[in-house]
Amino acid sequence: MADERSVVELTVNGRPYRVEVSPRWSLADVLRHRLGLTGTHVGCEQGVCGACTVWLDGEPVRSCLLFAVQAAGHEITTVEGITPAEGLSPLQEAFHRHHALQCGYCTPGMLLTAEALLRRNPAPDEATVREALTGNLCRCTGYQFIVDAVLSMRPSGGED
Amino acid sequence: MAQAMRPQMMGARVSRVEDPRLLSGQARYLDDIQVPGMLEIAFVRSPHAAADIIYMDLEAARQYPGVYAVLTYDECPVWLWDKATYEVGQPVLAHGEVQYVGQPVVAIVAEDRYVAEDAAELVRIDYRPRTPVLNMRDALHDQPHRVHAHTPNVFFHQEYQTPGFDEAFRQAPHHLSATFRTNRQTAVTIEPRGTAAMIDPASGRLTVYASTQSPHRMREDISRLLDIPEHLVRVVVPEVGGGFGMKANCYPEDIVVARVAQMLRRPVKWVSDRTESLLSDVHGRDDIHDVEVAFDADGRIIAIRDHLMADGGAYPAYPFSGAVGETSLAARVLTGPYDIPHLATVIDCTYSNKTPLGAYRGVWGPIASFIQEGVVDRVARYLGLDPAEVRRRNLIHDDQFPYRNAAGMIYDRGSYRESFEDALALIGYDEFRRQQAMDRQQGRYRGIGISVFVEPTAMASSEAGSVGYESCTIRIEPSGRVTAALGLGPTGQGHETTMAQLIADELGVNLEDIVILHGDTDSAPYGGGTGGSRSGPIGGGAALVAGRQMRERLIKYAAHLLEAGEEDIELGHGEAWVAGVPERSISIRTIAETAYTNVRRIPEGLPIGLEVTARYLPKRPVSFSNGTHVAEVEVDVRTGIVRVVRYAVVNDCGRLINPTIVEGQIQGGVAQGIGAVLLEALNYDENGQLVTTSLLDYLLPESTDVPQMIIQHRETPSDGEGGIKGMGEGSLIASPAAVANAISDALAPFDAFVDTLPVTPDMVLAMVQRKGA
Ligand code: FES
Ligand code: FES
Repeated sequence: MADERSVVELTVNGRPYRVEVSPRWSLADVLRHRLGLTGTHVGCEQGVCGACTVWLDGEPVRSCLLFAVQAAGHEITTVEGITPAEGLSPLQEAFHRHHALQCGYCTPGMLLTAEALLRRNPAPDEATVREALTGNLCRCTGYQFIVDAVLSMRPSGGED
Repeated sequence: MAQAMRPQMMGARVSRVEDPRLLSGQARYLDDIQVPGMLEIAFVRSPHAAADIIYMDLEAARQYPGVYAVLTYDECPVWLWDKATYEVGQPVLAHGEVQYVGQPVVAIVAEDRYVAEDAAELVRIDYRPRTPVLNMRDALHDQPHRVHAHTPNVFFHQEYQTPGFDEAFRQAPHHLSATFRTNRQTAVTIEPRGTAAMIDPASGRLTVYASTQSPHRMREDISRLLDIPEHLVRVVVPEVGGGFGMKANCYPEDIVVARVAQMLRRPVKWVSDRTESLLSDVHGRDDIHDVEVAFDADGRIIAIRDHLMADGGAYPAYPFSGAVGETSLAARVLTGPYDIPHLATVIDCTYSNKTPLGAYRGVWGPIASFIQEGVVDRVARYLGLDPAEVRRRNLIHDDQFPYRNAAGMIYDRGSYRESFEDALALIGYDEFRRQQAMDRQQGRYRGIGISVFVEPTAMASSEAGSVGYESCTIRIEPSGRVTAALGLGPTGQGHETTMAQLIADELGVNLEDIVILHGDTDSAPYGGGTGGSRSGPIGGGAALVAGRQMRERLIKYAAHLLEAGEEDIELGHGEAWVAGVPERSISIRTIAETAYTNVRRIPEGLPIGLEVTARYLPKRPVSFSNGTHVAEVEVDVRTGIVRVVRYAVVNDCGRLINPTIVEGQIQGGVAQGIGAVLLEALNYDENGQLVTTSLLDYLLPESTDVPQMIIQHRETPSDGEGGIKGMGEGSLIASPAAVANAISDALAPFDAFVDTLPVTPDMVLAMVQRKGA
């Protein structure tokens, strides 16, 4: 295990970090196990489930497929980063109101994907929301209440 | 009367108290548990479906820097084996032979998972492969040979028939036969399975963090298998990212992890990766049923004969084989909501060289509904009748409850006919039929599938074990706030909310003033855990009984301290008062202070403190929920692609605790049902290799695969506590049949019937071409 370590500098949730990493460590592992940001979940490490979704410079990416070294110099945002110091964000509140989560394991990834969608397109229609969420698997909810929660964020409050 | 004064939390659409921690990424799942000095385990698993182990070379792995231990059967000679029930058990690490791909053979303990996996690569094992047993029908006759030399492949056989069956069957004017088959599936919780264990430095006890649905059962298993007295084992269940029956078992890895913590006296953890999950989580379904039905010219079904077969895999999962659940329960509920007088069943469960079969949500249900509803549709088409009309002619009538079905199961009252008619109205059945005929002329193939279901819930025994009761301890703290502990193992169902709703009503306290504890054998009273749709009716029942006992105690206090009659006391908003004289009141907090610190003022005959433990065992051995699902699909006959376009559910699970949570359960189960019909199959090749080992091969429903659902509730109370019936599985019992029937209906012009799940586009094309050619 003589695997050499290197120092990576990156920004996570607005805070600068210097971490010693092995070149083969995934970004998800480093966020979770080095930085203690366990809100990012790992469901497959195959790039399919989306539970590990974080933002890299504001764009959703799968942190299980990125090596931590690839994040050097970039800005990472995790679920902890979109959670206000007090209470919940409007999207988190909508998830709560609409019962958009059961076991909660897919939830951080869902929030990051949905939040990115809404920033790009504040008034998506249902088909757009469903399309945007196809990369995030949820085994519990059947997606309906997640879709409802996202739609409720539109300026019209969910009405088309 | 006091009842009417209180806000009714039961039945209210309360948002969940669990949510904030889950939404903000603060929840702690198993892999989030990190303790200084924690080691990690990687397993070397069998690459063969069946082989003798000739030789193992572990030296290089043992020498690898960062490795702390390498375990084989010799270091961990433990068997998952219920000897009273089965001739065969599984060694937690393979012993001399391997019987399925993915079976754990060697455990590597290292400073982290990366190192453990490196060392695992260095393990050399020589195997002598054997011909695997992979085909259920062959296995039945011990072909090509026995999986376990000392015992036949058929490990469970049962026969049943109603008196007069043969004659009734023979004399019926019409007969049809069909074979129904479900492929292997698995639960695929998005959080993989995992276990962590450590010796508690203060007490020296073994603490096991387990991602399980049944904390006390897990404690019992660990205690028994590792021979540690139960009071020296603590099982803690952290946040669990989905279970669906799959996390109801004790697995080889659980035992190895606990053993390593004991041996090395170091904290240790194993978390499954996705490939391991698909290989080693219990599989589900895998049924073949040879069915014959006898009926009259009006479409009334007289008799059903079924040879039920299920492939249990290489070993019985511990402590129960899913194959037995799949078949024996299906045999008892095969007639579903229909009044079918005669039934004959033969059950055979077989071994194979595949992963052990366990529970997946709805165990037995998807196949039984698929048959029961498939049979009705076949009868309808044969006679040229409308499938809805044939259902009307066969449904149990309201005046028949309690109804004893042909297998002897007693159904309590439900809304069988009403929910059926309501569901047809919701989807606009008659209008659909008119439209369908026009669509067909234009080459559009739409179909509608009806699934009227019964769901046995709150059974005396289920995958959560044979503990038929549940327990609840309620403690009002000196501050007047409430903690209530239950032995449940929630995996997303929201018990912290629903149980608090029930208790809030009983005690007249606010929801925010109640905390529900679960999943820790040190704080929770002994209970069966979560599984078999029992937590609502039995866990909820325990919460209600404990709540009522506590309520009575609070009333005694209030009557004494307010100098009033007990019958005049009302409770609400954390206060007790004299009816009609709200100024004469006392807070629960003051009562609690009295109970703990001002003990001279405690009313005579009451104990010090405010703590109550109640156990609730329902009087009935089972309570039946019911309802109807209707699916509409569109089939593209050129590509074979099926889309579910509309979906309606009428559900009756007795009195609702929280309708929103019930709807979430239904929507999730319907999505899983769509997966079962269109996407999900664990496939083995001819060598017994599982070829679906990633989520790119084993496909789960995505947001675009699931339609909007319309859901309506009916509430026919059970006669158990609170009138609650279970509902965790009904949606996945009913939905596969609804979607499958809709496809058959769409393909009626091709004379096709779906008989195998999942239905892939290739299969659709084959059905279309068979007729077209
Ligand atoms: S863990 Fe990254 S996509 Fe599943
Ligand atoms: S809430 Fe459990 S996986 Fe989405």
